Amino acid sequence: MDRRDFLKTSLAAGVALSLPAGLDPFLQNLGAAEAADLAVASGKSPAAVTRAAIDALGGMKKFVSRGDIVVVKPNIGWDRTPEFAATTNPEVVAALVRLSLEAGAKRVKILDYPVNDARRCYRQSGILDAATAAGAEVVYPDSRKFRDMKIGGGTIKSWPMYTEVVEADRIINVPIAKTHGTSTLTLGMKNWMGVMGGWRGRIHQRIHESLVDVSLFLKPSLVVLDAVRILTDNGPQGGDLADVKRLDTVIAGADQVAVDAYGATLFGIKGADIGFIRLGHEAGLGTMDLARLRMKKVQA
Amino acid sequence: MVKNIRRASQALFALLFLWLFLQTEAKGANELGYPVKIFLDADPLLFLTTLFANRSLPPALWPALAVVAATAVLGRAFCGWVCPLGTFHDLAGLLKTRARRKALPPGLFRLKYYLLIALLASSLFTLQAAGIFDPLSLLIRSLAISVYPMLSTATAGVFGSAYESGLPLLDGISEAIYALLKKTVLPFQESLYLGAGLVGGLFFLVLALNLVERRFWCRYLCPLGALLGLIGRRAVVRRSVSEGCNECGACEAGCHGDALPGSKELWRIEECHLCGNCQDACQNDAVRFSLAPGRPPGRLDLGRRRLVASFSAGLLGVPLLRATPLSRTGAADPALIRPPGATPEPEFLRRCVKCGECMKVCITGGLQPTFLQAGLEGIWSPVLVPRIGYCEHRCTLCGQVCPTGAIRNLPLVEKMEVRIGTAMIDKGRCLPFASATPCIVCEEVCPTPKKAIWLEDVRVKNRDGREIPVRQPHVDLSLCIGCGICEARCPVLGRPAIYVSSVGETRSKDNRLLL
Repeated sequence: MDRRDFLKTSLAAGVALSLPAGLDPFLQNLGAAEAADLAVASGKSPAAVTRAAIDALGGMKKFVSRGDIVVVKPNIGWDRTPEFAATTNPEVVAALVRLSLEAGAKRVKILDYPVNDARRCYRQSGILDAATAAGAEVVYPDSRKFRDMKIGGGTIKSWPMYTEVVEADRIINVPIAKTHGTSTLTLGMKNWMGVMGGWRGRIHQRIHESLVDVSLFLKPSLVVLDAVRILTDNGPQGGDLADVKRLDTVIAGADQVAVDAYGATLFGIKGADIGFIRLGHEAGLGTMDLARLRMKKVQA
Repeated sequence: MVKNIRRASQALFALLFLWLFLQTEAKGANELGYPVKIFLDADPLLFLTTLFANRSLPPALWPALAVVAATAVLGRAFCGWVCPLGTFHDLAGLLKTRARRKALPPGLFRLKYYLLIALLASSLFTLQAAGIFDPLSLLIRSLAISVYPMLSTATAGVFGSAYESGLPLLDGISEAIYALLKKTVLPFQESLYLGAGLVGGLFFLVLALNLVERRFWCRYLCPLGALLGLIGRRAVVRRSVSEGCNECGACEAGCHGDALPGSKELWRIEECHLCGNCQDACQNDAVRFSLAPGRPPGRLDLGRRRLVASFSAGLLGVPLLRATPLSRTGAADPALIRPPGATPEPEFLRRCVKCGECMKVCITGGLQPTFLQAGLEGIWSPVLVPRIGYCEHRCTLCGQVCPTGAIRNLPLVEKMEVRIGTAMIDKGRCLPFASATPCIVCEEVCPTPKKAIWLEDVRVKNRDGREIPVRQPHVDLSLCIGCGICEARCPVLGRPAIYVSSVGETRSKDNRLLL
């Protein structure tokens, strides 16, 4: 890093520390030349916003190589239509599918293990149609493909995990930002529950430790947090449009903890105050210290 | 000639029936998109018994009237040309060796008429028992509850083993075949049903009767056949035998309906399925089927005493089956959670024909056949067993497939407000109450827009005396719809810490909870 970049970044960090998150026009397009660790893109079109966020990180080619088998793992957990903000925005998912294929992926698979019936969830969320149109293989969970795997965590030693996700060359986690009765918020790390089989409700008993264990195991290449709409109450399932807030934003980065830490600020919460974020930071999964990151905010 | 066209017709209707059966499955959209219950809608026996028992027209009117009209003109062609159970009988009958027929009592064909009278009589006094013996209801119920799950489980098992084997070439080929089967004939997820062994066993017994005599069921037992036979007694299509007949008797062996008792002139019109086998077998080309209106039918002697006895048996059946405390409020089995849109229980029992359509289509497989929990009258009617499958909040498929309106076809907005019961928490088993351990899976999965489970932030002491913050769940009795997903997902296995009973169900005036 040369002196100019150092000055620019320090200035940006200083400004970012002193302003509430989301109200920092000074940061817009600063450092547009080099790639960022964390990208925050806003705009009217979810597809354009997703592209802008990935471009700000340096382009999808940084995360997907030619010939890769990629699993894009959205939140398709609930039988809700997109405007209820319980499932990932289908246009965001479709954009990621297209970006992955453009970067040379051999196959892009979409899958999740929902709470409600998979047929309803996949269709009502709009993800089945949008992802199929974008060229993805949409896969329904197959009970034979859960295998007990050594998670090796302090709380979760082993757990049945979905083989097709674990065996992929690249995993792109694409959650939606919501509140949650047990973990306060559900962002990227919580989205991994869709890869877990068995009686996963048990992990509620030690939710924060469990999520960190599973996140350490799964190692995504990229996390794209859908904040086009967020669910501000009665999450993670919602059901009342009054609980949905439209932010038209997508956050992307390779650091699972950082993305979640930024996501927390959308609800007016500090990352350090959320158990799984703080524990993830302490376990070395990533950093929740947003100031230390190269963050880029773009308008799409 | 007639025989070949008839066989083609049987194949066509059998394939149509099976295809509609396979379409009776959730695909993720709100509407099913196909008239999967059309065979049941067209069933005149179910039409009549539902009409009698409820004193109101069943929802589907025209298909049944069309079959009645066709039968009045053509005779019992439905049995020979359309009925898919009849086709199953013919296929099962291929296993029978062409040995001499056992000497069954010659009057046995009358048995189905007595059964028909008994069923019609009891339905006049509001007992809906026809569904147990109706061939279409029996076939769909048996396939849905037993045969299809049996075949799909076996198939999945075979391909599962191939998959598990991990042998590279076998693995690839078997997965390709399995994927194709999954897209076409296998269910998306295997639904399994309680008591399937009995239902399947009875079905195979009915088919096995073909080893005693071909189309045993159709000749001696089928009440729909009896009804169609009576309707078709003045049919326009007639069988005639020309002078070329030398009374060799070759026509008798293949007769589907036992319509030819051996004499040249005698032809029991109400037993004839118009199968055409006699025409095909005749060496002298003496048999003709043609339009010959106006000829009076032969005598059908059922015996006055026996008719009175059948009618009385039907009547007696009503109080016999109803003298049970289950019909009293509070005495009913609390686990008798009926599907959303179900009419109040007495009307429900008058309408439900136990066809199994709702159980087949239920997206979670939660609708299960009762055995005796609803009394003998309610045998094989649907109840929700949340631990097996909950009621998906935005799904209305069961109401879409019910042929008699026992489960009303509610619009989605209305269905989402129907309460089928109420969930309650067992604080002795619920983790945040009983052992200072966080959980609240129930609150997470509760689907109502304003959650019917609310959380209380409490500090409880654990064994070491340390205070642990937990969130304790409470059911809001005024909001809970009884869908059962909380019970289905509660991690306290064995006996869930939150469970649903039917109290508070919208359909019942008496089974109320709150003031």
